Amino acid sequence: MVKKRTQISVALAGNPNSGKTSLFNALSGSHMKVGNWPGVTVEKYEGYADYGEYRLRITDLPGIYSMEAYTPEEKIARDFLMEKMSDVVVNVADGTSLERSLYLTSQLMDMEAPMVVAINMYDEVEHEGIKIDFKLLQKLIGCHVVPVSAVKNTGIKALFDHIIRVYEKKIEVLKNKTEYREQIEDAVAEMSRIISSDRELMEKYSARWMALRLLESDQTAYTLLKERAIWIKLGRLAEEKTRLIEADGQGGARGKITADRHAFARGAVKETVMLPREEKKTLTDIIDSFVINRFVGIPFFLFVMWLLFQMTFTLGEAPMKWITSLFTFLSVSAVRIIPAGLARSIIVDGILAGVGGVIVFIPNILLLFLGLSFLEGTGYMARAAFVADKFFHKIGLHGKSFIPMITGFGCSVPAFMACRTLKNRGDRLATMMVIPFMSCGAKLPVYVLLVGAFFPQRAAGTMLFAIYLFGVLMAMGAAKLFKSTVFKGESEPFVMELPVYRLPGLQYILVQMWIKAWMYMKKAGTTILAASIIIWALSNFPVDGKINADYGAKAKAVAADGSIKAGDKPALLQALENERLSEQLKNSYAGMIGRGIEPVIRPLGFDWRIGVSLVAGIAAKEVVVSTMGTIFALGGSGKDTEALKEKLRHDNVFTLPAVLSMIVFVLLYVPCIAATVVFHKESGELKTTLFYIAFSMGTAWVMAFLVYRISLMLIR
Amino acid sequence: MKMSELRSGDKAVVISIVQGTEVARRLSDMGLTKGAEFRVVRKAPLGDPIEIKIDRFLMALRVEEAGQIEVKLLESGRKAKKVKSNG
Repeated sequence: MVKKRTQISVALAGNPNSGKTSLFNALSGSHMKVGNWPGVTVEKYEGYADYGEYRLRITDLPGIYSMEAYTPEEKIARDFLMEKMSDVVVNVADGTSLERSLYLTSQLMDMEAPMVVAINMYDEVEHEGIKIDFKLLQKLIGCHVVPVSAVKNTGIKALFDHIIRVYEKKIEVLKNKTEYREQIEDAVAEMSRIISSDRELMEKYSARWMALRLLESDQTAYTLLKERAIWIKLGRLAEEKTRLIEADGQGGARGKITADRHAFARGAVKETVMLPREEKKTLTDIIDSFVINRFVGIPFFLFVMWLLFQMTFTLGEAPMKWITSLFTFLSVSAVRIIPAGLARSIIVDGILAGVGGVIVFIPNILLLFLGLSFLEGTGYMARAAFVADKFFHKIGLHGKSFIPMITGFGCSVPAFMACRTLKNRGDRLATMMVIPFMSCGAKLPVYVLLVGAFFPQRAAGTMLFAIYLFGVLMAMGAAKLFKSTVFKGESEPFVMELPVYRLPGLQYILVQMWIKAWMYMKKAGTTILAASIIIWALSNFPVDGKINADYGAKAKAVAADGSIKAGDKPALLQALENERLSEQLKNSYAGMIGRGIEPVIRPLGFDWRIGVSLVAGIAAKEVVVSTMGTIFALGGSGKDTEALKEKLRHDNVFTLPAVLSMIVFVLLYVPCIAATVVFHKESGELKTTLFYIAFSMGTAWVMAFLVYRISLMLIR
Repeated sequence: MKMSELRSGDKAVVISIVQGTEVARRLSDMGLTKGAEFRVVRKAPLGDPIEIKIDRFLMALRVEEAGQIEVKLLESGRKAKKVKSNG
């Protein structure tokens, strides 16, 4: 019989780029699972490992430099550690940059949680000739210190042993604490006496920690403590002590505590770490002196972005075609199996089209995130932001906004998802708002149709370029506008680590890639499917029986007509069928909406037919072309665009100003359902999503109106 | 002098940082505090942000933020420039 293992919960805490994630992978092997932290779109990594008679449940906390938290990720890590939600904390420290790591360690010491310090990247430490006195370091930190290398998979077993020893309280090292200057220690001692009388509070928090945080005037500690009965005494004491500490004129409690922590970290390193006499040029220095130097920096950056874009959309093209053919095959089979009628229509045009529309983006998403995880994992991503920041800062965005915006040229869905790298909400939302102006791949067929029909061949390329450029300029202008109005002041300061270059593990990249794709499928899949079915229903209902009967009769007449050659009949029947579809669409809800909005779009030079196409285009932008095909009774397959161009040229609604206006409108108006759903998932607020829809619609209308009126004047 | 006035290659020590901002907190969390020695590695191709190395740790910050940091030059990156700035 299998004995039930005792569970130990273990949390990994450490600086970003300390190799925490690799250590997490090394500890939990393949037993990992990715979820979401409750209430936020931050990924939660959990895994387990069986060791001896224990099962270790491991949580990889988001990377933090200190317990000072600004972003949602950092807040999660802080709260988790503060509330001691795990039995053992493993503090992952970067052995090659110990002083910085020990700053966080000093705070963890203040929290008095059972802890092990793992000195990671020990292989690099040895390689660089750095010597660490572990015995002394253990004494100073007051807990077990284990050298490990997650990448080389050394020291992992020892780390397991130490975690269990800490859990079993078989600790050999005497507890130590960060020693603060006397005035602070005095204040902390008095304050913790009061705090520790609150039994309930003590179940979760450390008195020493709470006292320190209160002196540092930390908002979280303050909010928590002022609700307690002890606050009557504590509040007064804290105020008094803070004043006393400030009295010597050498700064406030907050600054002093921080300084003492730094002094502790610096002192500990001075005593325990022997650096090699000569500082060698590292591989990172050499790579950087090339890839981000004054001359190569920008071209190299643009090259990497081009490569990322190419990989995502060129490499993605083939699998997208396979998926499309698979769904075409399924539809054809369904048509063969299921008799004509509503059931067939809902399966083929509703469900299959909807599911296909979701799945077709998967290759793009996988490839984009393959590239992004690789760039992130190697350390180039931070450098890309470093190179691009000046430009983006000018328009109010952040260096990291570049990647999502470039991705927007391919598809807004992965572009919105790529905005997660922007930690500041204002920066992220402003970037997301303007992404749809970066003209996506699906809008291209619309431009090709209209430009092809109304401009000479030799001007077509210039025209397309002008359209894209117009979108980029709109995006930049809108970003600037947003950052100086709605998202004012909410900017992420550019204080960023440029991590050492490393070759990321394959597992890391694959896991990252899979998570993104899976989240997209899970979250967007259901909603997009539902939305596609609604749009399908709008364009197919109500079914006008009279139209069907009329065309049925006409078709029968053609079939029976002896004067028509048998060879001509299929074409005539097809033409009749196309006319029937056109009539049905005209009378469907979508048609009604198109006619209903005609007064609104009339000033842009549009009639109801363009209205219907634009409404249908909300399902997916390519649909604008196929809907126009249906309306002009050419069939919706979009195969015969030459015929459609011909029709448009002879249509008196499609004047040059109206065509320009339509191009602008398609470029700017709300992106497809899939993108809007993903926007909503990423923004997390209905309010923001509605604002975004209103904003893109409003901008599209105004710009199209201006373009229409101005070109009318110019042409006249 | 301010950190933003340093040239690439210059070695300097932090004298003080304007306190009370998120940036100051972040810089401190990352080890850039009073007394920290660092070297300016380079400026970004467009002149902003700047990259510095503290210990073995590379970090970047905007010129705007570097303007809030008072530093003392320890060693000029280019000897010739040093003579000039002293004169």
